Amino acid sequence: MRIIIIMKIMNRNKLNNLAIFLIVGALASVAVVACGGGESSTSPDRPSVVVTYSILGAVVSEVAGEAADVKILMPNGIDPHEWEPSAKDIETLANADLIVSNGLDLEGTVMEAIEEAETKGVAVFHATDHVEVIEFGASGLHNDEEVGPDDERDHDFGDPHFWTSPVEMAAVVLSLGEALSDLGINVADRAAMAAERLINLDQEVSKIVKSIPADQRILITGHESLGYFAHQYGLKVIGAVIPSLSSEAEASAGQLAELKEVIEAEGVRVIFTELGTSPDVVAALASDADVGVVELSTHLLPEDGTYSSFVLDLASTISGALAS
Amino acid sequence: MNYFVDPFLDNGFLQRALFAGVLVSLTCAVVGTYVVLRGMAFIGDALAHGVLPGVAGALLMGLPAMLGAAVGAAVMVGGIGLITAKSKLSNDTAIGLLFIGLLALGVVMVSSSRELTGDLEAILFGQFLGVNHAELLMQSLALLIVVIVTVFASRPFSLLCFDSDLTRAMGYQAHWYHRLMLFLIAATVVVSFQTVGALLVFGMLLAPAGVGALLARRIVTMMLWAAAVGVMSTYLGLLASYHFSWAAGASVVLTAVTIFFVALVGVSVKKSLSGLRS
Repeated sequence: MRIIIIMKIMNRNKLNNLAIFLIVGALASVAVVACGGGESSTSPDRPSVVVTYSILGAVVSEVAGEAADVKILMPNGIDPHEWEPSAKDIETLANADLIVSNGLDLEGTVMEAIEEAETKGVAVFHATDHVEVIEFGASGLHNDEEVGPDDERDHDFGDPHFWTSPVEMAAVVLSLGEALSDLGINVADRAAMAAERLINLDQEVSKIVKSIPADQRILITGHESLGYFAHQYGLKVIGAVIPSLSSEAEASAGQLAELKEVIEAEGVRVIFTELGTSPDVVAALASDADVGVVELSTHLLPEDGTYSSFVLDLASTISGALAS
Repeated sequence: MNYFVDPFLDNGFLQRALFAGVLVSLTCAVVGTYVVLRGMAFIGDALAHGVLPGVAGALLMGLPAMLGAAVGAAVMVGGIGLITAKSKLSNDTAIGLLFIGLLALGVVMVSSSRELTGDLEAILFGQFLGVNHAELLMQSLALLIVVIVTVFASRPFSLLCFDSDLTRAMGYQAHWYHRLMLFLIAATVVVSFQTVGALLVFGMLLAPAGVGALLARRIVTMMLWAAAVGVMSTYLGLLASYHFSWAAGASVVLTAVTIFFVALVGVSVKKSLSGLRS
């Protein structure tokens, strides 16, 4: 009866499992009947690549081009920390030739389905295995200690939001090229070109960020999602409304009061908020501390569907808010 | 002194949270006492969950969340009436069916919508630290309505708590007063879900009123105890949320439930002591 309370206590994964069980269980029978036709959408000649979320998906599409059939699992803009796969999504994963995931707990419950597919022989590429992972201190503050790609043990506290840095994305793209050639398609040139474009993008972003006065290069964010961006471009994340890598944690009075003090001490003028952060709590904090609120799209691919405009939008929104 | 007062003096959001919590506590003290005495906990719980699809739908259509919650509660109460009238199924089967059906509908709506991302937790666990003045006004209004209705219907309500046949014998329409009581529970859930959350409002309905039922015999005294425990829990819970960085809504409810168990142990010990003496 007290499902939700129990689910909350058991932790989010179990909640998702139960919710999936309840809902997918009810819908699965309908889906099976409705989709009796089966897998007509996958063309047999091109390998099928499934990417978990849209921003990474845009980059994978750019690298793979027409050579592979790239599918994106989560709808664009949805909070990957919260999303739950449907029965059909799990089928898509199981039928893929290659799954490209972010890793580091970003995808929550999808990970179980990915592991399941992996045991059945589907190749899996975790983007964050090819990134200089920023560790997230248990204290709730970032430290700049970096963990090498091989250090699997520390990944539980690794920051998954690497896509906010085009430099890290470039490193991922090069390794992705290799993973794609294992599927029998030759995209090494495309991968090298994509990586070069990302390095150019990095320089563009650097220019944009330079317009921010040195004493204003401080960020307060919704959850801890801008670590890589900040690290790359010399900004400092001094606090978050929800000091967690995931948007799922809840605000406490102590943390909020601490954040308010930080805002006052550092002369912060604007709080950046994003998908999944309670707008009411941000509004309350902003009105008490007398600062502005600027919404960032940290998990949403812009309309033209390219990674570069995602990064440029992010950079110009941040610099516009901080420089004004 | 600083430890206990300063957090509230320094932070506007905590003052509003405290004020909202006190209003919720007072409303829940009145309504919760009837819930506890009449054994209506299950429907209270069901209402707390049943508002979910209503809230989700309202947010999707850009309407006030409270309106959606009211519709959700109305569907729940009406549906229970319909099932029990059209079938021989018991009341709790009807409640359970609607409860899980509406909850599942709510989860489907929230999880399949991009706009509602992150809102599921907000609806279930509230925005205690994000309360604004309009919400405080709404809660004061709800408290006023609950108190006025209870004052006017106190006699039939009391009779209902002990014997519905007697209520009828005294010339009251028992089922109408039962519905009025359901309406009060629904109203409490609807206005409180934004602060303590749909789920935790249920804790505030039960735990303080449970203490009241343990400590007092008269309904009014029970309500006073419940109000005191609720207000105390709000204050201590928010203080804990401040000093230990705990999630705010959960801290308050946890405090209330802890007080209940302390009271339970206290009452049992006192009983066994007086048993020894006699």
